[in-house]
Amino acid sequence: MKIQKQKNRKLLKGSTTAGLLFASPWLIGLILFYAYPLIASIYFSFTDYSILQPGTFIGLNNYKDLFNDQLFWKSIYNTIYFAVYFVPLSIFFGVALAMALNMKVKGMGIYRTIFFLPTLVPHVALAVLWMWLLNPGFGLVNEILGVVGISGPSWLGSVTWSKPSLILMSLWGIGQPVIIYLAGLSDIPEDFYEAAEVDGANWFQKTFHITLPLLTPVIFFNLVMGVIAAFQQFTLPYTLTQGQGTPANSLTFYVMYLYDNAFKYFKMGYASAMAWILFLIIMILTAIIFASSKRWVHYQDK
Amino acid sequence: MLYVKSKFKITSIMFGIIISMFLGGCSSSQEKDNSEEKDTITFWHPYGSESGDAIAAVIEEFEKQNSTIKVNAVYIANQGEGQNEKLLTAIAGGNPPDVAYFDRFEINSWASQGSLEDLTAMAEEAEITKDRYYPFAWEEASYDGKLYGIPTTTDARLVYYNKDHFKEAGLDPENLPKTIEELERAAEKLTIKNGKRFERIGFIPWYSQGWFYGWGWSFGGSFYDEETNTPTANDPKNVEALEWITDFAQKYDVEDISGFTDSQGAGAMDPFLTEQISMKIDGNFGVANIEKFKPDLNYGVFPIPTPSGTNHATWSGGWSVVMPKGTKNKEAAWEFLEFFGGEVAQKIYNEIYTSFSVIDSVNDEIGYKEDPIFKQFIDILPESNSRPVMTEGSLYWNELATAVENSIRGIGTPEENLIKVNEKVSKALDE
Repeated sequence: MKIQKQKNRKLLKGSTTAGLLFASPWLIGLILFYAYPLIASIYFSFTDYSILQPGTFIGLNNYKDLFNDQLFWKSIYNTIYFAVYFVPLSIFFGVALAMALNMKVKGMGIYRTIFFLPTLVPHVALAVLWMWLLNPGFGLVNEILGVVGISGPSWLGSVTWSKPSLILMSLWGIGQPVIIYLAGLSDIPEDFYEAAEVDGANWFQKTFHITLPLLTPVIFFNLVMGVIAAFQQFTLPYTLTQGQGTPANSLTFYVMYLYDNAFKYFKMGYASAMAWILFLIIMILTAIIFASSKRWVHYQDK
Repeated sequence: MLYVKSKFKITSIMFGIIISMFLGGCSSSQEKDNSEEKDTITFWHPYGSESGDAIAAVIEEFEKQNSTIKVNAVYIANQGEGQNEKLLTAIAGGNPPDVAYFDRFEINSWASQGSLEDLTAMAEEAEITKDRYYPFAWEEASYDGKLYGIPTTTDARLVYYNKDHFKEAGLDPENLPKTIEELERAAEKLTIKNGKRFERIGFIPWYSQGWFYGWGWSFGGSFYDEETNTPTANDPKNVEALEWITDFAQKYDVEDISGFTDSQGAGAMDPFLTEQISMKIDGNFGVANIEKFKPDLNYGVFPIPTPSGTNHATWSGGWSVVMPKGTKNKEAAWEFLEFFGGEVAQKIYNEIYTSFSVIDSVNDEIGYKEDPIFKQFIDILPESNSRPVMTEGSLYWNELATAVENSIRGIGTPEENLIKVNEKVSKALDE
């Protein structure tokens, strides 16, 4: 008995070493390429640093300059605008779509595939495709609106409509969260519904008293991920406007402006300060969502 | 006991893997040492297709003349105006290429960061002097009185016009718009609009190469005071130019124009080639595209109109070859730079790429002065402006583009927007 225990301990010790060794390339990478730059960027945010020359310490000047930088505020406004509309809409459509794709219908696999496919389209191709769809002159979207008798806006060509256009495009790539919602839906025990049916519950009651409450952990997860992704919006608007954020900076998002400062204007310190402000914004929002989750997220086993 | 053995085995295999990984990382550099009979220099350039062929031809000739040097050309995608992060990080990491093909306009900001090698002494020794090149090309390649790049190409901008459209609209294709007013009238006659949709548009001031620098100079404005190192974006003449552009945008509805331009492509789908736009400002590099995709297009070029109809202005950019800071192989790299800046390489490169040389006699040799289209570009070159030679060129460029965008969309007045540009660029220059 005792010998067995000792052997076990040895075995455990040996496998820990081996495990660490196996993981070491990744661990070294993490420390070198992730932890160190992260800590370094805190320091750089207090310096005037151009990448090419060692930074000079300037205290809080970067942060002060940012507060007087109009484009900084504009990019924050654009980013918040996008997040405020996109995140709730993506949850609404994501859950609705997942529920529709969860029905017991023949050929459901095909439908699911169709809805997931846009997620696989590269951003650059997606940007080009939507530019055609939203073209005010001959785009499909305005053609359809025209049939109904609505004169469509000029979408990406208009300062007012450029962000809504982008939200529309982003909603098209909703396949990823839908898959997660589907997994959540299949997690809900069938007998809950059976019991409800015995009590004579209709579709609405089943949805609002069983499905949605039991789906809240998944919604919670997607909400947090959605907020983080929305604040880091970059690839699509960047490719759409060749990095210019046109028209009139209405599509200049926070990370795009950060990137410009870092790589176009040699202002890596300034960009580092921007990165940390973004980190704080996202962290505070995530903390708020976590704090509120106690009230509305229900876990099955509790 | 058996188990101890196996544990030992696992650990030793792991060590083996890790050690071989590290060795694998080193082996490539070892190979280099063995093939050192030839001096190899690495050359980064952003070109595929025709220009890539031109580069290859230059390298071929260079290697013929310098049998001891091998040029390893690497294609690095060009990320547009002032974006060169691959080169930037390579220099910062102390492992740059030996030579890079470089937008001359960026030399000042990069040199001021200490990221390029000073070529002054080497140029003096090789007797490469200012009078060999167009003056603006040399100025752009110099920072603080020192030389940091060897100029290779240049360009100019004129208005391209579709002769058939002119005839159709009752305009005389030989009597071309000289004043801004005449340009406006021509644009109006050429435009065909159905509701919000342009079947054909006569002209868009800011389209293609219609950058604000060209308009400011055409209206007689200036952008930079060298004496005081201050921008003068809100020069009254520049304000006038931007007001005219803004009026133009309102007259034709900027959102409709935007819908038109957003759906246009490049290459064969360029709206000038598909005959959806009758006049556009473009550089001489637009010619190659027409030759390639629509050689029978009946077109001509004329100088950018001005308010008075005289004193036509344009501006020129162009490229250069530079030696990034930290180059390991300066001598061989310099040989290549010197060759690229010389008449032989200039002729090879610019003939294949149909770009302009920075050496006037080479343009003569290639026969640009006999070509009715190219001749007009070459003729205006000696009068041409270069963008302000300053350390914040990229920022100035982007800010001006933003000022135009905001003005034509009615966000702030042209004057307010140009004052903002001035403030932002001045502040950056002062830092």
